Amino acid sequence: MPRLRAADAERAAVLYRVQRRRGLPALAAMFALVLGLPVVFAVAPGLDSVRLWGIPLSWLMIVVLPYPVMAALARWQLRRAEKAEDR
Amino acid sequence: MDIALAVTPVVLITLLIGVRGVAAMRTTSDFLVASRRISPLVNSAAVSGEYLSAASFLGVAGLVVKDGMGALWYPVGFTAGYVAMLVLVAAPLRRSGALTVPDFAEARLASPALRRIAAVVVLVIGTIYVVPQFRTAGLVLTAVGHTPYWVGVVIAGTAVSVTLALGGMRAATYVQAFQFFLKLLLFLVPALWLVLHVSTADREAALTPVEFTRFTHETPVDFQYGVTMVLREPTTIVSAAGPETLAPGPLTAHRGDHLTFAAGARVPDVGGAALGGPAWQRPLLDVATGYPLLATWAVLIATMLGTMGLPHVLMRFHTSPDGRAARRTAAITVALLGVFYLFPGIYGVLGRVLVPRIYLSGDTDTVVVALPSQVDTGWAGELFTALLTAGAFAAFLATSLGLLLVMSGALAYDLMPGGLRRLRFTVVFAAIAMVVLALPSARLDAGVLVTWGFTVAASTFCPLLVLGIWWPRLTAAGAIGGVLTGLVASSGSILFALAGPRLGGWPAILVAQPAPWSVPLAFGVMALVSLRGRPPSWAGAAMLRLHLDERPPAPSSAPAYRSSTVRRVARRLNR
Repeated sequence: MPRLRAADAERAAVLYRVQRRRGLPALAAMFALVLGLPVVFAVAPGLDSVRLWGIPLSWLMIVVLPYPVMAALARWQLRRAEKAEDR
Repeated sequence: MDIALAVTPVVLITLLIGVRGVAAMRTTSDFLVASRRISPLVNSAAVSGEYLSAASFLGVAGLVVKDGMGALWYPVGFTAGYVAMLVLVAAPLRRSGALTVPDFAEARLASPALRRIAAVVVLVIGTIYVVPQFRTAGLVLTAVGHTPYWVGVVIAGTAVSVTLALGGMRAATYVQAFQFFLKLLLFLVPALWLVLHVSTADREAALTPVEFTRFTHETPVDFQYGVTMVLREPTTIVSAAGPETLAPGPLTAHRGDHLTFAAGARVPDVGGAALGGPAWQRPLLDVATGYPLLATWAVLIATMLGTMGLPHVLMRFHTSPDGRAARRTAAITVALLGVFYLFPGIYGVLGRVLVPRIYLSGDTDTVVVALPSQVDTGWAGELFTALLTAGAFAAFLATSLGLLLVMSGALAYDLMPGGLRRLRFTVVFAAIAMVVLALPSARLDAGVLVTWGFTVAASTFCPLLVLGIWWPRLTAAGAIGGVLTGLVASSGSILFALAGPRLGGWPAILVAQPAPWSVPLAFGVMALVSLRGRPPSWAGAAMLRLHLDERPPAPSSAPAYRSSTVRRVARRLNR
């Protein structure tokens, strides 16, 4: 059965709590972005008729917006998770 | 002819890299997880290359033509899954030291029964996921080269099983990493070429959709499989014998039929969103049913959480040298996928304008490869068709490689443990089984096939991993109960949607896309059964072990990680 040395167990317990605390905001931000954007489209159908460079704004928002935001979110979370382990 | 030119190099390079992997292979670990020495950049390219399947390369654009702009939520969910993976799963999973997901289940909960159940789930997800790959290979070769459907299926099956049987994961890693960049190039360049070469009128039309109500010119439609349409008014069909007017009512086209609709005839209904209509233009799914938000969320939940539970993707994280590298792999993957997914929408909106006949014949998955010849009838059109076909084939191969690998891992490593030789035989056996299943699957709905595997993964492995990694009180009984509940609920619901009576309104959405209720159900069963039992005394240590970083904080170890990724990749490749 898995066993941990006392020092390791202590460090693991600290890391577990730190990573849990740091992970939750990132997860919440991702769910807010991905599940929130459809709500924006549902309550603001006017976005379909606003045009930017001839392209409906809602189309731009679904194609261009989520990916850079998610990449930035991933980078932010990666930094925070690694910092927790550098201590 | 040009089809052979397009597909042959992809297949040959796949085989060559596969053969190159043979030299370094000695053990089961070599075969399954490439001896765990893949750097984050190479591994994330491999993850992306493996992940960009037929569904991404062709399916998303096809779904845009079929269901409207809302289909662009699929890739958002596909990408978001890696953010969740980064936060919740990547590093602890790698630190478990397990070779496969069933292995992880046993390492965390010490239950051989759970291991076997997890192996069965791997086989179920693998089958649901690999059959559409082979199916689309068949459809694309039919559309482009007019070969019979089975030819594409058999070519895909053969190439995959030979590469894997020879090279295992080591080969698969380099094949997939190479194929990510190949696919990106083969997807991006034709998209830009299309945008630049399409006429101004067509470009305007692509951005200002009007409902496809009448054929503007005489339009021939080839039916790859049977479709029942509804004629709303007397409709003129042109044939060799001359024009003939059909009365309103249902019209059934059989497989292999050709119908030529006269100019000005009204487009028949085929169900789904009317092409280019108001519902089609909205960036939400299933607008016509009246519950667009529910339908969109259902797809997003399935794809997002399903990504976290896809066994072939999870296995890729085991090939990283340590937990940190696994986490970096997930983060880089988010960026790589984000670049690729900027483009399917372009194919979708252009396809609506240039090849609306595809909407009638039902093979919307072929819209990407059908486009270039509509824009240019000369050599350039042929060249770009060939490039896109090659890219599509790379997509089938890379994804099927990973899937067949985990499936044979589940069979020959988890269910019936054996050596390397048995693994190699199992790969060939699994590929043959998948080809046989793909042969009668030509007309299954692409949208259902895409999300089915994700939904099952989201309802089984996602709760198992999340609770296994973050909740010390999880018990083996709870895990078994939750995985079985999730498997039966999600698969049963989708099978009911495919075979059962037609439903309407929100029940139809929740039956066809059960993730919004099957995932919480699986989590709930897992938690409740666990709370009623008592975890063994070592459960806390078994969980904490997953969160312990490999490198004690020593200042000397940090710079090695900050060394140039490019330099490390070069060193790896030169070895």
